[in-house]
Amino acid sequence: MSTLTSNGGVKLRTEGVSRSLLRIFAVAGNTLREAGRNRLFYGLLGAAALLLVFSVLLSDLALLDQKARLVQDFGLFLIPLLDVASAVLLGALLLYKEIDRKTLYAILPKPIRRSEFLLGKLLGLCALLALQEAALALCWYGVLKLRGGGMTQPIGIALLLSYVEVVFVTSVALFFSALSRPVLSGVLTLGVFLIGRVSYVLADLLGAQKSVFSEVPAMHAVGRVLLTVVPDLSTFNVADEVLLGWDVPVHYVTAATLYGLSWSALFTVAALLVFERRDII
Amino acid sequence: MADDVLLQLDRVGKTFRTGFWGRPVQAVREVSLTLHRGESVGYLGPNGSGKTTSIKCILSLIQPSSGAIRLFGKAPSDALARARVGYLPESPYFYDYLTPHEVLDYVGRLYGMDRGALKNRVPKLLDRLGLGKAMHRPLRGFSKGMLQRVGIAQSLLSDPDLLIYDEPLSGLDPIGRKEVRELMVDLRKEGKSLFFSSHVLTDIETLCDSVCILDRGVAVAQGRLSDLLLADRLESEAVLELAADAHDSAIAALTSVEGAVLCERAGAVVRVRVPTTRVPELTRRALEVQAQLRELAPRRDSLEELFMRKAVHVQDVGGEA
Repeated sequence: MSTLTSNGGVKLRTEGVSRSLLRIFAVAGNTLREAGRNRLFYGLLGAAALLLVFSVLLSDLALLDQKARLVQDFGLFLIPLLDVASAVLLGALLLYKEIDRKTLYAILPKPIRRSEFLLGKLLGLCALLALQEAALALCWYGVLKLRGGGMTQPIGIALLLSYVEVVFVTSVALFFSALSRPVLSGVLTLGVFLIGRVSYVLADLLGAQKSVFSEVPAMHAVGRVLLTVVPDLSTFNVADEVLLGWDVPVHYVTAATLYGLSWSALFTVAALLVFERRDII
Repeated sequence: MADDVLLQLDRVGKTFRTGFWGRPVQAVREVSLTLHRGESVGYLGPNGSGKTTSIKCILSLIQPSSGAIRLFGKAPSDALARARVGYLPESPYFYDYLTPHEVLDYVGRLYGMDRGALKNRVPKLLDRLGLGKAMHRPLRGFSKGMLQRVGIAQSLLSDPDLLIYDEPLSGLDPIGRKEVRELMVDLRKEGKSLFFSSHVLTDIETLCDSVCILDRGVAVAQGRLSDLLLADRLESEAVLELAADAHDSAIAALTSVEGAVLCERAGAVVRVRVPTTRVPELTRRALEVQAQLRELAPRRDSLEELFMRKAVHVQDVGGEA
């Protein structure tokens, strides 16, 4: 660890893994604090919680033994959707806001590496999305209890894997926000998400005997490229297991989590490489 | 590199690509300068002259297209070199949801300062800058002057050797300007080295030993302020008291010296400017018309005159090109 001492006796410790981690956590903490002081965030969270409560009223339309099921399906649809939407929106704005408000000019000249700053922002946003998902899941659990349902292993796994997917989407948004302006970043991130969600269909089309992706060479090439650069996000979808009440095997959860985190790491490294070379004008 | 050289720019240039076709725009061209420990260098130039761009290069916010920068003998991308710098950006913007105390706490953690040191230093620093009573109020309600003080406080937190301030006095009211200027004078007395940009000449004249005048990205003049202002010392000024009668004829005799100009007349006292080579002739004429020589001194340029001459010269050259 390298320590600098100023003439006035102020000690600065800038080198070493622990100091690097502290800087990353400082940035992450500030990112969390920003959301924590934003009324809009609480507004969105409140609106989402209200929607979940609304599912109780909706469930009255269902047959007697299907009330809990309706609440369960509604929550499993709404929570990941909100988390992904937040990841796209907040991720696309993550760097732009710092540059636009010129706050980055005061931070990057400090003894912090750009990679530490970016990792801190990513970590902060992921923590925020985890809190958001946890808060909504808690609210959902309450509503579910009210309708005679409960938390099962597949539901817990579904929430966990949806969070892994959210981390992936956040890293994609971070990559695009290091490259371009927020609208384009948002559109591109959404594009990657949608392609990822239907990539298993694309794989089927490429293998089918009669489809535009198998018959037209150019489209075949495009399909192959898309399948290479975009992961199969259906990996994180365990709706069938939830529907049937089957336990999701631990090895599947582990493999899916590693798969998602590996893709996230790939996009994060790409974002770091881009951001490291970017002029902050 | 000698230990007392804190900052060195060697033929630094920055070209931006703008527009759809990536048209090159040279913001900074081959700027070289050196700042030694304890020195105060003013970076002077009109708006758009490349001051902020070169400061961003020094702090690794942008990469220079050519040349080399050494900060404490290291590349600016080295975080260890930047740890010894306190930077105040032009119109400082901080997270407006934070309080001054939180800003300094955050910045301190980026510098790797201990919690104990921060607890001790932050309130003292905020008190020194007159923010003691506002240290727990969010920045979003702060005036420009108060934000500038927060900016200065965060730049001083790590007790840096070198302060790099970009337009530290712009946008402040007269009282704010005076206070910040006095603070900068105090910092100089404490031994801090200062590199600051401004287009306000009086600030530079008050605070700096050396200047670098930048115009359209080119360093058109640089060196010690006293040397630069005397460098083109080709003229002298004489203050003369004329005899009681025949003022007009005496003035006519004095101004008949080749190149002499009457600068000022107040009753029997006149101020005449002549080329230094013509001073003997002027004194001879003064004796002839019985005028008393009260004062004779080489004329010193004001920084404004120097700046206008250098900047206008470059604009002429640019215009011809």
